[in-house]
Amino acid sequence: MTRRHRFIHRVLWPILALVVATGFVLALWLRPPPEPGQVRAAPMERPA
Amino acid sequence: MSVGFRAVQWNRDKLVYDGILVAAVALYIAGFGVVAWRIEPPKNMPEAIDLWIRATGTCAFLMLTVILWIGPLARLSPRFRPLLYNRRHFGVLTFIVAVAHFGFLLSWYIAQHNLPNLGAELTKWEDCGKFIGFPFKTLGIGALLILFLMAATSHDFWLAFLTPRIWKSLHMALYVAYALVVMHVALGIMQSEGTMLIPLMLVGGAGSVAALHIIAGWRERTGDRGNALNADGWIAVGPPYAIPDKCARIVAAPGGERIAVFRDGTQIGALTNLCAHQNGPVGEGRIIDGCVTCPWHGYQYRLRDGCAPPPFTEKLATYRVRINRGLLEVDPRPLPPGTPAGIDIPREAISEILMPKTAM
Repeated sequence: MTRRHRFIHRVLWPILALVVATGFVLALWLRPPPEPGQVRAAPMERPA
Repeated sequence: MSVGFRAVQWNRDKLVYDGILVAAVALYIAGFGVVAWRIEPPKNMPEAIDLWIRATGTCAFLMLTVILWIGPLARLSPRFRPLLYNRRHFGVLTFIVAVAHFGFLLSWYIAQHNLPNLGAELTKWEDCGKFIGFPFKTLGIGALLILFLMAATSHDFWLAFLTPRIWKSLHMALYVAYALVVMHVALGIMQSEGTMLIPLMLVGGAGSVAALHIIAGWRERTGDRGNALNADGWIAVGPPYAIPDKCARIVAAPGGERIAVFRDGTQIGALTNLCAHQNGPVGEGRIIDGCVTCPWHGYQYRLRDGCAPPPFTEKLATYRVRINRGLLEVDPRPLPPGTPAGIDIPREAISEILMPKTAM
């Protein structure tokens, strides 16, 4: 890896990691609570 | 290397690597299908297809995670370098599994005669402003397009055509693809499933990738500081005998670019640490059959002038070296690739340099 690649690498992935971590925590925090008695939710890819 | 197309050069190592990969993927997807089918047998065709959507989706996520482990693991220990050898085929197979995931998704809509709904879902612009409710499939499609771009340019033809520098930069988009996949799952299935398994999968995958990168980056940071220069601008490497025979010591030029100083018996030479193939760390390789051999894919170069042995045509930048008062020194200003710059240690100094203890 060139010095430039190492620099890009070290700048790029922490930014992405921070964005993803924030997005993930928000998504987890805001997700609706499971319905009582729910065994399995609707199929993963549900149409709108 | 010419920029002409050359088919993939298969060898036993690549066949074994790919064989293990394909077997592992087939086992995972089949195992997932069997277990899920036994736990809750699908009641109709869409439910059966949904099961395969999950199997291929989790498989692609795990494969992407493992691909992102390989780089830092290979930096941390040479034992993991064999994983790096054929990582491109790993990436192409991941793309194929991701395409299968997308294919099952289309089948799910088709099985319900509902395909236009997918288009409507992807173009529902008012949902783009929401966080929960964001059309998460667009994130998955974005990741799939990046994987396609990377798979399509994975061949050595593109590596040579684009040059390793541009090719490497392009392939760093894998991080963007991984981020899109994590958010695709977090805003998709994680919202509709109450189970903690999915958050745990995401935290385990992305967390392990981040942790490995932090550890590897921390260990590498010292290599980025340029070595001190002496009065006439050369870098002191140390006594030549301190470099193990047929190995290198890596020093950093003032800008941080690395130089690999090799010793082969009584011959000393300094080359750029960047392999001409994929910018692999030449200095972490060894001298095999008289040639400096890159640890990533085995590309070889002559120590004296940095040229690959015929019929190959790759060349590395070389650096001037000298012995000054028993210490090996290297000039950090690179010479044009292929310039002879290696030296033989002076005969009168050999006994002192190679066998300091016996000489004393």
